[in-house]
Amino acid sequence: MTHISDFDAPKKPWLRLMVPILIVLGFAVLFVIMDQNGKAPGREDQGPTGKSPMGAKLQEGQTYYLFASEIELYPTNLKNDAWDGGKNGPDIRYRILWQGNQVFESEEKEDSLIADWSGLSLDLEWTDLMGKSISPDEAIKAARIRYEKGGLVEVEVEDDDVADDDEAGRAEIQLKDLRLGRNEIPFEKTSVNAVRRINLRVLPHGSAIRDLVDLMK
Amino acid sequence: MSRNHLLILLSSALLGVGLVAPTLTIRPQAGEFSWLVEILAPEELVPSTYSIVGVIRELYHIGDVFLAGVLGLFSIVFPVFKLCLYWLGIDRSGSLVSSGSLYEWTTRASKFSMAEVFVLALVILSVKALPGGSSATMEWGAYVFVGSALGAMLVPTLAKKNEP
Repeated sequence: MTHISDFDAPKKPWLRLMVPILIVLGFAVLFVIMDQNGKAPGREDQGPTGKSPMGAKLQEGQTYYLFASEIELYPTNLKNDAWDGGKNGPDIRYRILWQGNQVFESEEKEDSLIADWSGLSLDLEWTDLMGKSISPDEAIKAARIRYEKGGLVEVEVEDDDVADDDEAGRAEIQLKDLRLGRNEIPFEKTSVNAVRRINLRVLPHGSAIRDLVDLMK
Repeated sequence: MSRNHLLILLSSALLGVGLVAPTLTIRPQAGEFSWLVEILAPEELVPSTYSIVGVIRELYHIGDVFLAGVLGLFSIVFPVFKLCLYWLGIDRSGSLVSSGSLYEWTTRASKFSMAEVFVLALVILSVKALPGGSSATMEWGAYVFVGSALGAMLVPTLAKKNEP
């Protein structure tokens, strides 16, 4: 007597076995294709979620952070001589003056015609890592200014020398001309200016970290 | 084609989508230094969304072959194997085959009906405990996957009801 088991039944079971596998594979592939074409729902935007107010005008009465993210000098100084006597590039430092007062002085960037500053600096001790809270105010190294009609800031750029500091240029910038985020301001070489361009960053004081981050990128 | 066969096909389709659809989103944070990391290394804090297949691939790439194997076994191989068994083990009337090795395997498989969901839940639970305020949230693909497991779980129950 012959015993026919379920697997031995004449129904081509291995062929039938493929049906769920093909359905699983088919739907998986279909979904991936649709997803790649951007048709599938549920795809998450993985970029920053904050809305950047980049390019917006400054608001009257509002306080802002202001710093130069990049300053480029012409290859020669005001007297058309090489910087630092031709040995090295200039050691660039800048100051921001607002309402006749110096409100910020940057760190010095040695031997460079193009100097950049991140606007951030943290002086951390090891003990600070044990729970000290650090606010953006403490970390952002920039001038704090308030926008008022007709307001302006002065940016003084100099080549910091051991013997005597050489002025590289001095720019008066109308606050109404500035926008939130990056502002590139070019300058002509003259007898009183050796600064080729200044990139000024304006960040709204007291805004959400996410917005500040977007503006600093 | 019986109602049970349709349920198996539906579960298979849900499983296919559930394996590749977004299942888990991890939003990394670095505690109180998160804002600083966002500025200095924003790419470190970009949220990552993974499908089940994506999680397995990621685990494999970082060298955790064991965990990738376990997750692959319980979330892909076992559910597919179970659906195949049900497909073979249910006759035209929608009832389970009455005897033989196929019947035994089908009965055994039905006892582990929610194993894949359990493993998925463990993975989500483990990443929820990430440090620095990082968070993990379930995406809709997880629900599709659970729907597939629930559908597969219903098959033997309905098949037994159809038995004479």
